[in-house]
Amino acid sequence: MDTLVQQIINGLSLGSVYALIAVGYSLVYSILLFSNFAHGGFLVIGGYICYYTLAALGNNIWLSGLAAMVGAGVIAILVERLAYKPIRERTNVTLYLLIASMGMSIVIENVFVVTVGGRFRALPPVIPTDPVNFFGLATTSAFDLLSLAMAVIFLTALQLFLSKTKWGLAIRAASYDLRTSGLMGVNVNRLISIVFFVAGFLAAVGGIFLSVRYTLYPQLGFITIKAFVAAVIGGLGSLPGAVLGSLILGLAEMLTAGFISSQMRDLVVFGMLVLTLLWRPSGLLGKQVSEKV
Amino acid sequence: MNETVLKLDHVNKYFGGVHAVQDMSFTLEKGELAGLIGPNGAGKTTIFNLITGVYDVDSGSILFEGTDITPYKTYEVVRKGIARTFQNLRLFPRSTVLENVMTACQQHYQYNFFEAATHMGRWKSLEGSIREQSMTLLERVGLEALAEQAAGTLPYGHQRRLEIARALSLQPRLLLLDEPAAGMNPDEVQDLNGLITKIHSDFGLTILVIEHHMELVMEICPHIVCMNFGAKIAEGDPDHIQNHPEILKAYLGEEVLEA
Amino acid sequence: MSGYVEGIIILLFINGIAAMGVSLLTGFTGVFTLGHAGYMAIGAYTAAIMTVRFGIHWLPAIVAGGIIAMVLAYLIGVPTLRLMGDYYAIASIGLGESIRLVLENWQSFTRGARGYPGIDNYTTLTVAGAFFVVMALLMFYLIKSNFGRAFKACRDDYIAASLLGFNTARYRVLSLSISAFYCGVAGALMAGFLTFIQPVMFDLNKSTELTAVVVFGGLGSLSGSLIGTAVITLVTELFRPISQYRMLIYGAVMVIIMVARPEGIMGQHELGPRFIRSLFQKKNGPSKALEGGDGL
Repeated sequence: MDTLVQQIINGLSLGSVYALIAVGYSLVYSILLFSNFAHGGFLVIGGYICYYTLAALGNNIWLSGLAAMVGAGVIAILVERLAYKPIRERTNVTLYLLIASMGMSIVIENVFVVTVGGRFRALPPVIPTDPVNFFGLATTSAFDLLSLAMAVIFLTALQLFLSKTKWGLAIRAASYDLRTSGLMGVNVNRLISIVFFVAGFLAAVGGIFLSVRYTLYPQLGFITIKAFVAAVIGGLGSLPGAVLGSLILGLAEMLTAGFISSQMRDLVVFGMLVLTLLWRPSGLLGKQVSEKV
Repeated sequence: MNETVLKLDHVNKYFGGVHAVQDMSFTLEKGELAGLIGPNGAGKTTIFNLITGVYDVDSGSILFEGTDITPYKTYEVVRKGIARTFQNLRLFPRSTVLENVMTACQQHYQYNFFEAATHMGRWKSLEGSIREQSMTLLERVGLEALAEQAAGTLPYGHQRRLEIARALSLQPRLLLLDEPAAGMNPDEVQDLNGLITKIHSDFGLTILVIEHHMELVMEICPHIVCMNFGAKIAEGDPDHIQNHPEILKAYLGEEVLEA
Repeated sequence: MSGYVEGIIILLFINGIAAMGVSLLTGFTGVFTLGHAGYMAIGAYTAAIMTVRFGIHWLPAIVAGGIIAMVLAYLIGVPTLRLMGDYYAIASIGLGESIRLVLENWQSFTRGARGYPGIDNYTTLTVAGAFFVVMALLMFYLIKSNFGRAFKACRDDYIAASLLGFNTARYRVLSLSISAFYCGVAGALMAGFLTFIQPVMFDLNKSTELTAVVVFGGLGSLSGSLIGTAVITLVTELFRPISQYRMLIYGAVMVIIMVARPEGIMGQHELGPRFIRSLFQKKNGPSKALEGGDGL
């Protein structure tokens, strides 16, 4: 029983970090209708900015965290302007964006390999990881509870942004139909930049927590594949879906690791992906996009 | 007398809460040139999509030459002998005009995988036939000079002709034309009228046309079905239709009538 | 011919075969895949295990590698090819990675992540060349046939294709199966060339390379894919001393091509006398269509 509760908390904690990543990815998908494979790059950028600013500014996690989030957000905007904007202005074939995003993800990963090297880096222990007694039910680490709490805070903030602000409304409108929202007076290019900033911002938070959990290295972005899977399970384009899918995935992974074997973790993840795509491709909460004939 | 080619029997289709097609029934005899008219959103294209299996029927049945094609998949419907053109044109823009027609024409000149991969056996003769047949069809619609042009670079009117040529090369017995005159000026519509009546007599087809251009429909269709809000509101010959109060109401609105 | 140069040419043949497979699926049928290295892995391991463990001759082993990859692709493809666009791309990543994970974890059979050594060096220049020539010929012929037109129809507009009587699902599965066969054979040849294989050789990076090569060469051009293969393989060899920059350049090339010239080197054209002639003629396509019209 002890292990079960422990693994559930682990799973929710991992899932909440996935959620931060999956939500940003789903947000971009809902607006531009393409899978930004470079999303993992934003995560890694966040991790490295945090690492280096921690070293430079004396281990102040708040400052470094903020720098990472803003930095990742700004770079996300740059990526969009440099690589995606020219393509989407010329054609509406999303395949080209997909391929460009694939290329971008390789570029970002390898910029780090080439400049700072591929070795694993541990973040200084600025985020507490001491064991905490969870209501007498299980012993978990403060880190897990913290990452869960941070994820909840950020996702709530995002929800408030989307429902209560003018740009949030614009984003929701654009997720139904980008072109029409443009015709209604929304500055589409600025909207897309804002969406990418938010995606990069959230990915950075996820990146920081994942760096603490798994240490930091250029290929850490690869973990975004799991966020993609989570987004698909929850329903591509649906933000609540991304959160739901992430939690389910985190739980599935941790329960598999705890009760079956650690090697089977990834297989279970991909197995769930294939099952979802076969049984219900639009995911749990996803929108059905049908073509008008 | 004539055999029934197409029969819709109490067909219903829902899109969520919208009753897009309501209890639709009508019949087409062999060799008819019929028109399907109605205001925008009346459900006309949905009828075409139901016949060709793009959408599934919720209730009712569709019979083609006596066979129940309601459960058929799209490609099965086409192979049975029904062809259709599109309101928004669905050519293969990057392929040449000739290739577009050949892609359709090849349905009737099939050779197998082995022959395709080795260019042996019947490949040469059947490919030759496909090419020949396709050029003949292009001549029929006056596009043979543009055979090697990319289909997407053609002017609009030519693209429409190409779509019709492509549909014809499937050797259908029932041809569904979805707003073939969309975007045309009166002169072009007259030319199209000529083309449609020509292929109707030359190929001995049964044709059902969706159209908004009344000059086309009233002039060449002796049998007209009118729809509004998914239901049939009138059916008959052009005179009957033109004087039908329900139709005037549908197109012009009640206030105009009362005025 | 020096051993080094001979090795490069063999590598060109192997990568070329795989590229043709991916070209058929992505360039001609419009199914974007990022998991085809998985089929190469299956071909490689099938051939390796058959020749080393069961002492079977390399020729049937290579063909078996292709066939087993093809059968697996068919079984997976029937349900998953219902998905379109991005969904299938993500699924293919999952599938490719799953294959790699299974190979890494099935230690008793595949010797796991440490790799499978001791494979006979059966892939000589003649063997690789022969397979390449035969398979290239078959592919070129297939594209210039009714099947080729069917695949292109499925790619360009699957609804229009079904309304021309094509069972688009069946053609997509057929295209996938053939492409898996080609990748399987390429993998089997690879095993006989390197004499040592590891699952990590067939990871997402390799799959991305296969797709990048096809995109670079031109979606819808078989000769383009081969040119792309040649360029990438040679560049990879040239950059071997600074191989850490290799992937960086790759990624950059993919982005730049998509931004500057998404149709790739050859666009949709094949390299032939007609194409070379057109390079020397002035472009007057669109204007030709507009002038001399009948007012229709």
